[in-house]
Amino acid sequence: MTTTAGPSTGPTEAGPSTTTQVYELYIRATPDVLWDAITNPQVVARFFHGAQVESTYEVGAKLRSLSPDRSQVWGDNTILECDPPRRLVHTWRSLYDPALAAEPESRVTWEITAQPGGFCKLTLVHDRLDASPGTAANVTGWSYILSSLKTVVETGEPLPPMA
Amino acid sequence: MTSLTRDNLVTYLRGVDDDQVFKALADPTRRRLLDRLFKQDGMTLGELEAEVPELTRFGVMRHLTVLEAAGLVVTRKQGRHKHHYLNPVPIRRIHQRWMDKYTHGLAGALLDLKDHVEGER
Repeated sequence: MTTTAGPSTGPTEAGPSTTTQVYELYIRATPDVLWDAITNPQVVARFFHGAQVESTYEVGAKLRSLSPDRSQVWGDNTILECDPPRRLVHTWRSLYDPALAAEPESRVTWEITAQPGGFCKLTLVHDRLDASPGTAANVTGWSYILSSLKTVVETGEPLPPMA
Repeated sequence: MTSLTRDNLVTYLRGVDDDQVFKALADPTRRRLLDRLFKQDGMTLGELEAEVPELTRFGVMRHLTVLEAAGLVVTRKQGRHKHHYLNPVPIRRIHQRWMDKYTHGLAGALLDLKDHVEGER
């Protein structure tokens, strides 16, 4: 459990919360297949806007993400926790946008929980966003990414590019 | 296969299907709760209660249970508080169900599925 997740401030009328985002979905796959999908560069490219990822997936290792043609760096993050096939935690900075790249680092946690009958619950928590409102507003694409991941894993077919 | 849409190839689990999502959304109070979480994610039951003063605590809990069962709200315990988060994934999938239908050929999907099933995994 990400015990530090959660808003650090009480509710306000100031606008959207930007501290923690939680996404959850159920996927028909074993934990191993799902783990492979989120750590295998060939599969990641199919659901993550064609991103080319590179990492040894060891704690402290870099998790680099490049544009499909490898001309731009999209992410240069660090693996914080890696417990296959259950839990992957890494830092997040949106290097694809200069304004967002200037914001402090945030954190992404992938949690895979096996369910009876060959299914998994996948929970993605994006937190430590308190000081990164632009990133928080810009990562709402997670629902598209995760939905696409589900479709790739279950059918082998990625979703069409997001309009 | 009752209908030739790509969505029949994917699963809806734990009874979380479109019916549940639409039923959950068909109530104005539940939409208000989602609107509130959209503005301020991670609220506790107590904080959400204050948003719908006309309801009892039990009433708010019942609505949150419906939203959670439909997958529209995810809860995370932190200390002794339970925080509620808006989960946009079910709505995204409903969106994709109809928006993608015309942009993606079924034949291609089935061919890819065949490759996927028959390929090395």
